[in-house]
Amino acid sequence: MNANVYLPQLARIAHIKDEVGGARAIKTFRVEFLDGGGFEHECGQCAMISVFGKGESMISIASAPSIKDYKQFSIMRVGRVTAAIHDMQVGDVIGVRGPYGNRFPVADWKGRNLTFIGGGCGLAPIWPVIQTAVANRGDFGNITVFYGGRTSRDILYRAELEKLRGMADVHLSVDSPEEGWEGYCGFVPANIMDKPQSPENAIAITCGPPIMIKYVIGNLSAMGFADEQIYTTIENKMKCGVGKCGRCNVGKDYVCVKGPVYSWAELKGLPQEY
Amino acid sequence: MEAILQKDRLGQWVAQLSTRARVFAPAFVDDVWGYGPVETGAEVPLDHGNTTRPPKNFVFPQREVLYRFRVQDRHAPQITPTVPEPEPAVVFGVRPCDGRAMVRNDKVFTCGVVDPYYQARRDKVVFVGLACSAPPSPNCFCQSVGGSPHSEDGLDVLMTELEGRYHVKTLTARGLELLDAARSLFDDAGAADAGEVERAHAAARAYPQRTLASQEQVVDGLKRNFDSPKWAELARACIGCGACTYLCPSCHCFDINDEITGTSPLAGERVRTWDNCQFPDFTMHSSGHNPRDDTGSRLRQRVAHKLLYFVENHGIQQCTGCGRCITHCPVGIDIVRVTHEVAEV
Repeated sequence: MNANVYLPQLARIAHIKDEVGGARAIKTFRVEFLDGGGFEHECGQCAMISVFGKGESMISIASAPSIKDYKQFSIMRVGRVTAAIHDMQVGDVIGVRGPYGNRFPVADWKGRNLTFIGGGCGLAPIWPVIQTAVANRGDFGNITVFYGGRTSRDILYRAELEKLRGMADVHLSVDSPEEGWEGYCGFVPANIMDKPQSPENAIAITCGPPIMIKYVIGNLSAMGFADEQIYTTIENKMKCGVGKCGRCNVGKDYVCVKGPVYSWAELKGLPQEY
Repeated sequence: MEAILQKDRLGQWVAQLSTRARVFAPAFVDDVWGYGPVETGAEVPLDHGNTTRPPKNFVFPQREVLYRFRVQDRHAPQITPTVPEPEPAVVFGVRPCDGRAMVRNDKVFTCGVVDPYYQARRDKVVFVGLACSAPPSPNCFCQSVGGSPHSEDGLDVLMTELEGRYHVKTLTARGLELLDAARSLFDDAGAADAGEVERAHAAARAYPQRTLASQEQVVDGLKRNFDSPKWAELARACIGCGACTYLCPSCHCFDINDEITGTSPLAGERVRTWDNCQFPDFTMHSSGHNPRDDTGSRLRQRVAHKLLYFVENHGIQQCTGCGRCITHCPVGIDIVRVTHEVAEV
């Protein structure tokens, strides 16, 4: 890591994929570091993205740690920095500093059944774990992926999710019935209740809008999952990434350092300020 | 080492130090009692109450450029770091509560990941403390947060005012250098001086002060009453001005933003500025979701950060009892009263 923690490395946008259109557009950016730069990361970690002249935003690293040639970020257009990066083109240069935060303890989950539950943009932070699990398929038991978008046009990684079938049980959902939609119609928490998962030797990993996470965790608990078997990744506004600026402070923790990955058992010990 | 400086020699000491460092002392700056450079030959005002603005600026300025950037068309941006190379500075008249706050700031900025901007400034500033002979403010409570009117923590030198003279005690190698720079101005401290210092310190400790319940009681009480409805009641008057944190010697939260200085080519600065947990948008996500969306939760954040979270993370309270946040709150929110009411201690 750079000795000056605030200095970004430069990275060129190598590929842009339009994932979701409309007012809540999501694009996936593949970036390659310039001048032999870069860093290794772990599943669940984040990086601070710079668009010079606009500012910085903390974004989950959506590519698997095994991919060394580039990093991938799936970014929703919501504010000044994310709008600016959405307007960028292949070949443009951004700043990246990191990695920040802790990791999903994937190595501890060998031999266990993994259930992933994502909603909206919340698939991105858990995608590296899904990729790592299917790449090492023999190390894990059943792999199940629940994912929902508001409509079929809001589904992130649509093609990649289809490719997962065969390696994992994939259950997609949209909020309301749609013509031609063959998956589940309804909210993500309801979809998991429709296909209850056994807590036996299992780990559940969830990320999505705060309201979805809340009901997902409630439903997992109802299925018998212990607090220690449920993992999520939270986000808060961040400016520094190194536990100094105070923005992401929740209780005694700085989410950028102690998080963003928490088991529900750990998260219950913190104030609900996320 | 300990020595005696006659009051009429203080100016000479400062003049001597001015040849090797910029010397600062309490002064009106923009009509606010803070710290300003000492003009050659001017008096050094050490008979004051504590400053309104704490000496935090010397290590963590309110606005600081982290680096400059320049982007020519679609070429790779040029980035020029602006880690400061400050001139050596000597700051006179720092009260013990503010010295202790430096110890807290050091923990935030230099433990674990070192903040190079803070470190560069910290390495070049020497704090000459001034023991309090009476509470400089009716809202002082240093003694109930582990300090005292003559605490030495975080200071390089401690001066104690005696009749017609100062007792000067060096606390660090950098403090000793200040004395060595003008050794002939100082007299040896004798046994009588030591006795007088002890009496002055004892008198300052005996002066009535406000009291905050013990660290253990407060930690325990805040944990037990974390979800108390009193937070909202006590914060109802808060207008979110942020004076409490801007004037706090140990509040350290900051924002980072880009400021444009030119558009063709695009040029600008990435700037760090003090930020404030009492502002509504401090924690607001870009989605609009705000984890602390009411004054009660924001007041709880400030109080709990000072008196609970910092203890859990560093083993010491972050608050050093200077009382500025009480004195300057426009609506009378009082960290001692709030803590006692909520924690039920």
